[in-house]
Amino acid sequence: MENDKLKSRREFIRGSARLSLAIALGSIGGWSVSSMTSEKWVWQIDPFTCTQCGRCATDCVKTPSAVKCVHAYQLCGYCDLCGGYFKPGSNALTTAGENQLCPTAAISRIFIEEPFFEYRIDEDLCIGCAKCVKGCSSFGNGSLHLQIMHNICDNCNQCAIAKNCPSNAIKRVKASEAYKVKGSFTKEG
Amino acid sequence: MDQNKIPNRVTYALAGLSALLFFWWLLNDPTRDFIPSLPGLDNRGKGAGANDTVNIGELFDSYTNDYTQLTETWPRFRGEDFDNISKSPIALLDKFPAAGPEILWSAELGEGHSGAAIYKGLVYMLDYDEKEQADFLRCFSLVSGKEQWRRGYKVHVKRNHGMSRTVPAVTDSFIVTIGPRCHVMCVERATGNFRWGIDVEKEYQSEVPLWYTGQCALIDGQTAVIATGGTALMIGVDLASGQKIWETPNPKGWKMSHSSVIPFVFGGRKMYVYSASGGMAGIAAEGPETGKVLWETTAWNKSVVAPSPVCMPDGKIFITAGYGAGSMMFQLKSDGDGFSVSPLLEYKPSEGLACEQQTPIYWNGHLFGILPKDGGSLRNQLICVNPSDTRKVVWSSGSEKRFGLGPYFMADHKIIMLNEEGTLYLLKPSLSGYVELDAVKVIPDGQDAWAPLALADGYLVLRYSKKMICINMRK
Repeated sequence: MENDKLKSRREFIRGSARLSLAIALGSIGGWSVSSMTSEKWVWQIDPFTCTQCGRCATDCVKTPSAVKCVHAYQLCGYCDLCGGYFKPGSNALTTAGENQLCPTAAISRIFIEEPFFEYRIDEDLCIGCAKCVKGCSSFGNGSLHLQIMHNICDNCNQCAIAKNCPSNAIKRVKASEAYKVKGSFTKEG
Repeated sequence: MDQNKIPNRVTYALAGLSALLFFWWLLNDPTRDFIPSLPGLDNRGKGAGANDTVNIGELFDSYTNDYTQLTETWPRFRGEDFDNISKSPIALLDKFPAAGPEILWSAELGEGHSGAAIYKGLVYMLDYDEKEQADFLRCFSLVSGKEQWRRGYKVHVKRNHGMSRTVPAVTDSFIVTIGPRCHVMCVERATGNFRWGIDVEKEYQSEVPLWYTGQCALIDGQTAVIATGGTALMIGVDLASGQKIWETPNPKGWKMSHSSVIPFVFGGRKMYVYSASGGMAGIAAEGPETGKVLWETTAWNKSVVAPSPVCMPDGKIFITAGYGAGSMMFQLKSDGDGFSVSPLLEYKPSEGLACEQQTPIYWNGHLFGILPKDGGSLRNQLICVNPSDTRKVVWSSGSEKRFGLGPYFMADHKIIMLNEEGTLYLLKPSLSGYVELDAVKVIPDGQDAWAPLALADGYLVLRYSKKMICINMRK
């Protein structure tokens, strides 16, 4: 009789332990599956809505900004007179500093063949001021545009730039489609 | 004793260390890692250019001489009177039919923005044939679109936002063209027989403009007038013989722009007004002084100028350009012995009428033009201004009506405008507001429809990047 009681108590403890373990394992598994399947969201700029106001350079919590200029080469005209590289009315189409629009010399231009030049962005130097984007949009094909770089971005709950963006160009996008690079991404709506 | 020395020694050591740090700071160059941005970092090549020999007029193909002779002409860039206003009495459509306008024919072209000239039932177009690597002056029937003949020459032209860009100048006897790389060609209009050619880049050490030649040839009487830049600012060439009649010196080294030469009569003198890269000038166009500089100004000095000067009867000259240049209004004055020119207004593209490619129209004492992309809140809109102050907008087409770089002209008391994506607009010209009569998409997947329009006998010829079409605009 006493043995039966002990046996049932042990079985009860064992059963409870097994149940607890199963619940714990199930929870961990469920959480893992859930975190593997649920989509993360990040901030990104719609280049077709952006008005190149310059606030990306000043309002980001990162210094320098997590916003950088990117170049859609398939859209670029490879022009000698590049509106994104040269100041309007620059004296000569040379790489002299006084002719360049970028305040940090983040754009380099390389001669390809007459009359074509390739323009490259140095992301480490780029501060996301959008001056080149404005020039390229006004006088060129709009191949230069801004993007939030997710290797730099803190993905704040409330993005400081999005809050102050006058054209609401910064939106939450799925992490699996974190970039809206022109060429592969086309105007919405 | 020793205890007193310790603070002194520490003080001396600190002072010495501070001095060392100070000198280190002085000698340390914080800019040592800077790379100066100097000319030449792009490793720019010397350029292709005038080394290859071009035999202007060497190629000729004849197809047919079957065409319907008509009576009217659109003989050059901006039409007969250089004002982009057709004087044809033929009534044109006020509204397009429900099925769209009647498209009579279309023709494949090489990529570009060259426009058509029309002469009594024939259409002339300078085209670039990429396969043949040749400029061709092509002649089509206006009614049927059948190609009659083509005359050309081998020349290597790379795609650079299109290749061809100019409108031929046509008289009853001759046609003069300027190709993308500044090759001037004169042929007989009726037969296409070659008369003479000039390689301007080679002969005048000119620089081919950034996006190839945009200057449309001018024929004035029996003279072809070409603004060469380089060793001469402008030249006059006898149409029949190809002999140079006069050359305007170019001591300031002004360069050829994309703008065209516009004849203007003011103060009893006929002159050629030209906006070069470097400045603007008026060149005597008649009498023994032909070719002499009557007036010039460097107040207008922009690196890229595509629109041509708009000369008004009271001596005002409006000039505008894209790429942030904005506009200027000049006042030309005649004092009996000579001319003086002074700026009245200068402003940015967002502050008043400015245009990137097309030349504004002067009508009824007002100017009409489409603002460029950097034209502020009115960007890409058609606006009307009074020349007394081109910064004050009389009316604009509104935020829903933006047109881009497309061409526009006037005919039958209408503004006919093509936006760069191929929608054709009919507008009622007015000083009180934008009045749209109708609009229809005439080019399904149109792009870069920038070429000037041409109209004669009620047939409208327009083009986009790779195709020319002819529309029957008769009522």
